[in-house]
Amino acid sequence: MIASTPRLVPFATAMFLLAMGVFMLLPLLVVIASSLSSSSFLVFPPPGLSLQWYGEILGSQAYIEAGWTSLKLALATVVLALTLGTPAAIALSRFRFRGQATIAALFLSPLILPSLIFAIGLLIVFSRYATGPSFLGLVIGHTVITIPYVIRTVSANLADLDPHLDEAARIMGARWWQRYALVILPQCRTGMAAGAFFAFNISFDDAVIALFMRAPNVETLPMRIYSTLEFSPDPSVAAVSTIMILMTIVLVVMLNRIFGLSKIV
Amino acid sequence: MHQMSVRSIVKHFADLKVLDEFDLDVAKGEFVALLGPSGCGKSTLLRIIAGLETPDSGEIHIAGRSVTALAPEHRNIALMFQSYALLPHMSAIENVRFPLRMRGQLSRADQLRKAREAMSLVQLGHLAERYPRQLSGGQQQRVALARSIVGEPDLLLLDEPLSNLDARLREEMQIELKRLHENLGLTTIFVTHDQNEALGLANRITLMNRGSIEQQGTPEEIYRRPRTVFAADFLGGANIFELEVSESDGVWSGSFPDGSRVDLAVSSDLEPGKCQFMLRKEAVTFDPEQSMSTITGTIQTQNYLGGQTRSLIRAGGIEIIAVTDSDKTETDRIETQIGWRPDELIPLQNV
Repeated sequence: MIASTPRLVPFATAMFLLAMGVFMLLPLLVVIASSLSSSSFLVFPPPGLSLQWYGEILGSQAYIEAGWTSLKLALATVVLALTLGTPAAIALSRFRFRGQATIAALFLSPLILPSLIFAIGLLIVFSRYATGPSFLGLVIGHTVITIPYVIRTVSANLADLDPHLDEAARIMGARWWQRYALVILPQCRTGMAAGAFFAFNISFDDAVIALFMRAPNVETLPMRIYSTLEFSPDPSVAAVSTIMILMTIVLVVMLNRIFGLSKIV
Repeated sequence: MHQMSVRSIVKHFADLKVLDEFDLDVAKGEFVALLGPSGCGKSTLLRIIAGLETPDSGEIHIAGRSVTALAPEHRNIALMFQSYALLPHMSAIENVRFPLRMRGQLSRADQLRKAREAMSLVQLGHLAERYPRQLSGGQQQRVALARSIVGEPDLLLLDEPLSNLDARLREEMQIELKRLHENLGLTTIFVTHDQNEALGLANRITLMNRGSIEQQGTPEEIYRRPRTVFAADFLGGANIFELEVSESDGVWSGSFPDGSRVDLAVSSDLEPGKCQFMLRKEAVTFDPEQSMSTITGTIQTQNYLGGQTRSLIRAGGIEIIAVTDSDKTETDRIETQIGWRPDELIPLQNV
């Protein structure tokens, strides 16, 4: 065979990809290694190995509470983002109406707008018209920034659909509510699962909105990590982060098993 | 009493008139093909009958009731889509059960029993639990077919039923469809652009052209006695050429461009002057009998097709294609006699 590119090119490509992989994974590896440190300070490389920081966070009232808050927040966000985002995606893909493109762009705008700007606006609104920052404020904030992901994934799902399914169901005697329940919604399952995954992760991971909407009695896990880093940086931060990384991996593997996410994302 | 009739259906898409005062009656148990080129309005008509499109004006009756204003879900019909439109998240048997489940008149057990019966009618009983993606194209089509017949609809509509199948499966499915129709007697209308499908399946072909009926009749009538150039050309392709018609002493004859003359069968359609004629490729023989019209020609080229051979013959100043049994085909490219029964030369209206 005659080489179509200089021999150097495949080599350079491989090196480039390797460098990128290292660049992306290294921080995670550093965090995981630090979490196993026997030192009381966050240093790299760790002087010795120990699981003591995992014991530390599992016994820490503040971490457990923050983890619990984050979990509730993420689950509430997922539920809201799905219940609002899925019908929006269905409406955008099934109906043709005036201003459709504008509305679609509006729904997706949180993807592009810095969440900082949104967080400031949210804070002002909540201070002016509600009782100031609160758990509810966080839920609303996270729902807004995660809805676009649900709309994107569900829309991608619907775009692949045989447009005749709905007509076929109609001719077989299905009323409109039966068509939604038995034909259209089941088709959105994969997109909804992928959207839920994004919503969960983004909410669980968010520090920006949480920072602005910080209420006295509400502390999420990223906020806890942040303040620990600020005041007494020890490897417990790395241990929490490692748990979060593992959780994400488990979620991805699980969803992929059940829904075959690779088809959508 | 007609099982289905449409009256004066008019339908426009924007400025384009797709159906023009269209009338069609279908008797109970008939198997009707709506045949025509793409854009002739056949699919729109099918969708109007199904209720998926609303006509600008006109009336639709199915099984004795007016359904013009009735939504598709209340028409008690079945439509098999070209894409089959199987519900991907339901197993084959659940797909087949779906119409019964929507109607909700039978118990779950009875629904499943009837669904299973329909599956075995299409010889798919053993694959009931499979999901559509686990089935081949031909099997998916059988599921779609079972789903269409399970509810004993007043009217069965099929949209290009065989077009997604390869040649071998198509033949198999043609036999299957015909057998099912003979066994169940469901009034069936199907849309196709494939003349072989229409000829092979239907009891009656409605040939459509530009939103109107071009010609209607049994497959044999349409094939053997097309009335127009369009009909002759659309069904099976044919030799279509112009002859100069003349009459003397009650004997009609036609002359070819080079002056050769042949007798014409007496027909009320004949009048002196130029006229288009159709001669089916299979009507031409190299071994003419006494009573046949004959003409001398030269074989230009031949394609061996297996049992038959196609010959291109230069005769009468034009080119004539003949498809003959291979063992009765002249192979020497020399001057030869070709002939046909006079009534095989069909005068056409040139509209």
